[in-house]
Parts: sequence; C-alpha cells; structure tokens
Amino acid sequence: MSHGKHFTLYSHTGGPNPWKVVFLLKELGLDYEPVYLDFQKGEHKAPGYLKVNPNGRVPALIDHKNNDFTIWESGAILLYLVDKYDTEKKYTSTNETEKYQVIQWLFFQVSGQGPYFGQAAWFQVFHPEKIPSAIERYQNEVKRVLGVLESVLSKQEWLAAGKFTIADLAFVPWNNGISFLLGPDFNFEKEFPFTYKWHQKVLEVPGVKAGLAEKDRLAAAK
Amino acid sequence: MLANPASGRLAAVLRSIQSGTSPLGAAAHSPNVIASGARGRRGMSLATNPAAQPLMLYTAGTPNGRKVSIMLEELKAMYGLDYDVHPINLGANEQKEPWFLALNPNGRIPALVDRNRKDFVVFESAAILLYLAQRYDTQRKFGFEPSEDEYSRMIQWMFFAHGGIGPMQGQLNHFARFAPVDIPYAKARYLDETKRLYGVLDIRLSDRDWLAGPDNGTYSIADMNALPWVFGHQFGGIETLDEWLNVKAWVERCSQRPAVRAGLQVP
Repeated sequence: MSHGKHFTLYSHTGGPNPWKVVFLLKELGLDYEPVYLDFQKGEHKAPGYLKVNPNGRVPALIDHKNNDFTIWESGAILLYLVDKYDTEKKYTSTNETEKYQVIQWLFFQVSGQGPYFGQAAWFQVFHPEKIPSAIERYQNEVKRVLGVLESVLSKQEWLAAGKFTIADLAFVPWNNGISFLLGPDFNFEKEFPFTYKWHQKVLEVPGVKAGLAEKDRLAAAK
Repeated sequence: MLANPASGRLAAVLRSIQSGTSPLGAAAHSPNVIASGARGRRGMSLATNPAAQPLMLYTAGTPNGRKVSIMLEELKAMYGLDYDVHPINLGANEQKEPWFLALNPNGRIPALVDRNRKDFVVFESAAILLYLAQRYDTQRKFGFEPSEDEYSRMIQWMFFAHGGIGPMQGQLNHFARFAPVDIPYAKARYLDETKRLYGVLDIRLSDRDWLAGPDNGTYSIADMNALPWVFGHQFGGIETLDEWLNVKAWVERCSQRPAVRAGLQVP
C-alpha cells in the first residue's frame, strides 16, 4: 500500500458497518484510504480479500503504523482504535468498571441490532419473494430493539458512561435506515421519541455528520 | 443446578487459614483486598479474596448462558472464585418481567451481577466474558494483555462469534424448530450461513489449536465464546462436524477441559 495514509479501510458505499469505523476515524482525526468493494462483482469473496478477512465481509482495517496489523469485525475495530489512539479516552469510559457498559452496548449493537435489522432489510427489500411471517418477525424485532433503547434513553442521555461513546455511535447507520426497514408510514419520532431525539443528537457529532455526508456523496455519484 | 455458596466460601476460608495466609481480621471485611500469592490446601492460588462474595449469574440452558458458566467454572477451578446461579424460566417469559428488565433492559439472558462491586450489572454474554477476564482472571490464564495485538485478535474472534455465529445459528434454530410457519427458504438461508461461518472457523483452526494467541494459540475466552454454539450444532439440523475437521477437533479439545464439561451443564 503506497497511499501514505495511516490506515486502509475496506468498505462499501451502501452497507452500514464500515461507516461506524469512518465516524470514529474522523472523530479521532486519523487518516485512512477507503477501498470500496463491489459486492455485485464478488470482490469481498475474492481470494485476495479473503486473505485479509477470511469471513469475506466489511469493514476490515489495516494499520500501517503497526506493522500492517489487520483487524476485522466493526466492533473489534472500534475497540482497537479506542484502545490505541483515543489517548484521552474520550469515546469510552475512563472508569475501568464502567468501561464494560460501553462494551456491553457495543455487543448488543453488533448482535441485537445489526443482524436483526439486516434480516429485516433482506426480507423486506432484497428477497425476491415476499414472505409475510419472516417480514413480520424481523420488523417486530426492529421495533423491540428500538423499545429497548427507548426504555433506557428515556431515563438517561447516553447509553453508557454518561457521555457520547462508541456505544452510541455504533447504532447510527442502522437507525438511520428505519424508514427503509419499516416503511415511510412509520413515525420514528412519535413511536420512540427519546430514541429519536438521541439519534438526532448523534447525527450532529462532527465525525458522524462528515461520515454520512461522505456516504451520501458516494451514493449520489453512482 | 445451583452452586452451594455457603460450603464453597467456608471451604475457601478454611483453606486460607490452613495455609497461614488467612485474610481474617480487618482485611476480611474489605472485599477489595486480594490475597495474592496465597496457596490453598490443594496448592491453588487464592488470588481472589476468599471472603469475596460469589458472583450472581442469571441464566438459562442456552449457548449464550453456557459461555459464561464455562468461564465461571474455569475461574472457580483456577482461583476458587464462587458463583450463584439463578435460572430464568424462558418458557414462562420470566426474562421479560419488570424485575429482570431492571437488570437487563433487553430482557435476555445471561446477566451477571457482581456483588463485589456494588451489584454492578453486565449483560451480553461476550461483554460478561471480557468483564470476568479483566476483573477476576488476575493471572491472565484465559486472555491476553490489553495492550497486545493478540488481545485485539481475541476481541475480533469474539465479535465474529457474537455477531455472526450466534445470531445466524439462532435464526437457523428458530426456523428449524420454533417458527409456526414452515419456510424452506429461511431454513436454507440460515443453514447455509451457519455452515459458511463454521467454514471460517475451520480455516482459522487449520494451523492452530485455539482461536487466539501466538503460534499454536492459547485457550481463551474467545474459545469459550464460540464453543457452546458449535457444540449445539445438531439442534438446528447440522448432524455432524465432519465437514469441518479442524472445528471438530477443537470442540473435542475444549470438551476435555473439566470446566467446559461442568459449565455446559449449568443450569
């Protein structure tokens, strides 16, 4: 890699997960070279990429200032960046015990929000056949997850550590696609007001705002 | 199966008295004192203060619950750390009752309450494993130094299992066993994805014994995190692991550990 940037980030112009990493890289002021994989062409399952990530998914990050250390799984990447480069621990808790609440919510996002919202997207939007019970199952789960967030955010401003952390950041991409998953008639603000308000607040975080603007530019350029 | 807290604690205290390093006295009232270096009667290091309260695990007989009981059994064997189990009745939806939602707003098991730290609660099984490793695995038998690259690799494989194998095999189990409507497409979708994920594990284990760690690898919470799901492959219809011989060998390797065998039975 001769681009001279600190990192290479294997990414996708439309998918949700690489953008969590983009938000944090921007917040930390770290420079990266994005490599957008074309899923239609199967670039994510090509032998060259499988050497980077045997799971054949994005994101994957290469740290050129750490012997080209490679790491994949967005949650693991966020923790790696925070551990190595967030010296002030601005995006996680400075309290050794409370830190696990940040980690807890991060694991909930990658297993409870991501995969289930992903299945909702699959059955609602991408699958050629409409299977009502499958669509209903995953749409119900989307609402259940929003309800969980609502039950917490109605009592506190942020998910963990009393401040904005990678836990809050991780939920952004999928929460930004709620109308995609539940249809235009779904009123996010009315149904889950606290979660909606928190989501709007996170959208204003500079790294998040810049990352989403970059994503929108890429979508427009297609 | 409930751990018997009273006899466990009493036995641990007696061991420390016999070894001459009794923490009894002022120190016994402070749960933060670590009796490091103390050797119990059986030569085990009592790196955890035997006067420490047992941890409380809210759980059920599922793969995610068992990840944590395996780790607690390992910590018990290594350090004499005790734990209590409160089985949650999933069939009766006990996990959605208000008292449990106060612990875990997501209403799922497992959840851990650390009585040694003002009833600090952790939910999400992988987060619980990391918490236990950091706070109680004082000799780093089941993990790595957080500053090392090996630690980041361990975390990567934990996210892979927690975000990949768990939810996808979970959907397989749902459509194979619990869905009211039979949907062949959905069964095939999640079966294919679970098999694909096993294939990724198989590649990882082709030149090492454990998921994380240098050279041949070291047994760690990364293995505990993935094992109960793979161990339960038959439930969703994957009859054997013969297609993934490295994974099969790894499961057998894990199963040789007494703490793994014990943890898989809890509750």
